[in-house]
Amino acid sequence: MKSYFFSCLDKIKAEYAEIRYEENVATYLRWIGKELETIGISREKGGGIRVKGKSGWSFLSFNNLDNLPSYLTLAARQSLLPQNGAVKLARVTPVTKIIPGNFKIDPRQIDLEEKHKLCLSYNQILLSGPEVQTSDLRYVDLRTVKYFVNSEGTYIQQERFYTLLGMTSITRRGSNIQSAHEGVGGVGGYELVENQEEKAEKAVKRATLLLDAEPATGGRYTVVVDPELSGVFAHEAFGHLSEADFLFENERLLNIMKPGRGFGSEILNIVDEPPIPGEGGFYLYDDEGVAASKTYLIKEGKLVGRLHSRETAAKLGERPTGNARAINYEYPPIVRMSNTYIEKGEKTKEEIISNIKDGIYARGFRGGQTNLEMFTFAPEEGYLINNGKITRRIRDFNLTGNIFTTLSRIDAVGNDLILFTGPGGCGKDGQSPLPVSTGGPHLRIKELVVGGR
Amino acid sequence: MEEILKRALFRADEAEVYREDFENATVSFQSNRLKSIDNSFGQGTGLRIIKNGKIGFSSTTNLQDADFLVTSAIESSKFGQPAFFKLPATSKIPQVRCFDGNISLISTEQMIGEGKRAIDAILKEFPSFQCEAEIDKTIAKTSILNSSGLKVSYEKTFYSFSIYAFLAEEGDFLGIGETQSACQYKDASKVVARKVLEKIRLARRRAAINRGVYPVIFTPKAMPVILSLLKRGINGKFIQKKVSPLFSKLNTQVSSSMVNIVDDATFHYGKASRPVDGEGVPSRQNVIIEQGVLKNFVYDLQTAGLMGTQTTANAAREYDSLPSPSTTNFIVREGELSLAEMVKDIKEGLIIDQVIGAGQSNVLMGEFSVNLDLGFKVEQGKIKGRIKNAMATANIYELLKNVVGIGKEAEFVGSTFTPPFYFARINIAT
Repeated sequence: MKSYFFSCLDKIKAEYAEIRYEENVATYLRWIGKELETIGISREKGGGIRVKGKSGWSFLSFNNLDNLPSYLTLAARQSLLPQNGAVKLARVTPVTKIIPGNFKIDPRQIDLEEKHKLCLSYNQILLSGPEVQTSDLRYVDLRTVKYFVNSEGTYIQQERFYTLLGMTSITRRGSNIQSAHEGVGGVGGYELVENQEEKAEKAVKRATLLLDAEPATGGRYTVVVDPELSGVFAHEAFGHLSEADFLFENERLLNIMKPGRGFGSEILNIVDEPPIPGEGGFYLYDDEGVAASKTYLIKEGKLVGRLHSRETAAKLGERPTGNARAINYEYPPIVRMSNTYIEKGEKTKEEIISNIKDGIYARGFRGGQTNLEMFTFAPEEGYLINNGKITRRIRDFNLTGNIFTTLSRIDAVGNDLILFTGPGGCGKDGQSPLPVSTGGPHLRIKELVVGGR
Repeated sequence: MEEILKRALFRADEAEVYREDFENATVSFQSNRLKSIDNSFGQGTGLRIIKNGKIGFSSTTNLQDADFLVTSAIESSKFGQPAFFKLPATSKIPQVRCFDGNISLISTEQMIGEGKRAIDAILKEFPSFQCEAEIDKTIAKTSILNSSGLKVSYEKTFYSFSIYAFLAEEGDFLGIGETQSACQYKDASKVVARKVLEKIRLARRRAAINRGVYPVIFTPKAMPVILSLLKRGINGKFIQKKVSPLFSKLNTQVSSSMVNIVDDATFHYGKASRPVDGEGVPSRQNVIIEQGVLKNFVYDLQTAGLMGTQTTANAAREYDSLPSPSTTNFIVREGELSLAEMVKDIKEGLIIDQVIGAGQSNVLMGEFSVNLDLGFKVEQGKIKGRIKNAMATANIYELLKNVVGIGKEAEFVGSTFTPPFYFARINIAT
């Protein structure tokens, strides 16, 4: 492969060109209720090439490797069409690396019968409750071998095992339908999804208790979020705004996002860090062949860094952080997060809640979104807090805030950081889902808007 | 394909080969200028088999992989769900227009020109905005071959123009996105630029709203917040699992009698138009809601089989997945009010055009709770300005029972064709 890729690159005339090629083999199972909706095995091979001209790019994706030389010629020709402005790349030392995947148990060594048996046993737990209506269980193991070759001489071959288990229990009482979700897995092997009976039981228990919850009343509240929701907050409320491709050519936004700007009090630290083994966003080299590194986005409440591709780093004269990622060969790499979290502080959960007169404790996660100024993040369930005590259970509400005011209203950070990989992932520019982890400690946020009845 | 089918039938009782081929070209603008010219050339094949009454499946991007496909599909069938259907034979296929030969003739230069014209029109009036635009054309071919003798293939084209205009000012960001897409070629640059400009003008003024309950207008662009949850509600899969609030509501009143909806893959040049569904069943029109009464759910072969009914030709499919029911062109019938008449009718209320956080609440029950990414305050029959930092919460089934009026100008938003809706009340938190 290596010499073929380099020989193809040698034949075209371009300032810069790269080839990514992937071989994927996946096994997947999905139950909804008693029915095994999907079981299958897939094999996918494909590539993506990028060629840079003076003022722009051409990206081309394909399945048929035999046509690579003609695809490169087409991309090289098209890369010359953009003619205004300049595209430069931050300098990176060329490397040659072969990186094996991380796993304890290779999912390829487990036969389909055993995978089926394990998932079936979890599904039986998910379906075992008097008020359980149905379940949703997804299993997937994916082995990817990714090749990256560029015209500067870099060659990286990375193997990755990605194993996921998503378990949802859905309960119903009359017209009231509730659900609770537990997800495990990430970058690793079959060991990640074994022995998860307890999680399946937890999902059933929560979905059942949610039937007794009352709809939340909308308004402004002091809200305490659990580590899972804290991570989504880090991702939506600040992470996306740190992605330099949103601002690197926008003078107004660059002025607003000046390094050193205060966003929160000095107890707030937000980090993006790809090389954490086992997490959903784990990688050592990004999809531009740049070594991944830990980046502080917010340190002691102040903006200190952002996430870069080689292009955005060159434009802003900053260090490339290794955050250019593509969900697969069909897409070009763009600036993305990896494992994003809020660093832990000093308070216990009890201390954080104890002095709240009226508030909400929100936990679990159903989703989140941002438009770079405002954000939403949806908990799975919540409780009212009265006089420092957790009281009645509430359901079906969503939280919203403004990035530029809400971060400064975080006045307590817990000592209990946990990272989570979801079976979903992050979406941006049509590329979804991208595996990421998010996490944080318990947080107390004042005056958060709660959408409800 | 014939070879794969033949080999599969050595070992399986029934088999179906599903193949997709596509070519796409995209021109994209970033920060007001042409930035990238992209292409994709893709293909994939899926094999579904039935052996000993059970379903097996596998897929690959490489047609030469026949051995892998057959072995994997047979292996997975050992655990597969019992099949509640027989693969369909060929029957009469309707004429559905979903291919426009002009699309293959559109040059990259033409696409670039369209993007440039739209951006120039926006910047001429509002030079401080930054625009991103994407012009996209696709030609795709779908082929289905099965052991009941079905052999069908069709080509489809697709042309789309989307633009996003963004302005970041201290304490005030504004982003407006508009998209036009269809199976037929149309230069949408003018329409799209005009829409963006109208909304920027309205959003430049600000207005305040207090927490409370207000009448609300959803523009066509915002209607998918509501309709995507209704599409879930009528999906045969959720009906079969009894997790749709509509599962026992067939032939009952589920919305205001003003509401009429059909699902129609035979509609010419709609985004989801096609002569057959993902299992080769001829497309047809299905009435979903007639004068507020729920008439049909949407099914594929297996889900219909489980429910003891017939498929509605709603099997959605990609080469790498088994079929699953999904709506096609979801056509909501127009009413009689103009948007101006709706606005005029409101003493104090709002218009919702863009949201963030849709689909993340209790979607099973039809709940949503969304931040008003782009919303406008209406006072005494006039649009006062943009509302920010507010959250709108409702249940779609309650909303649809409280329709004040339906607009007379419908448009396609993706594969949904809908007019604006005027509802009696929505909860606003600020």
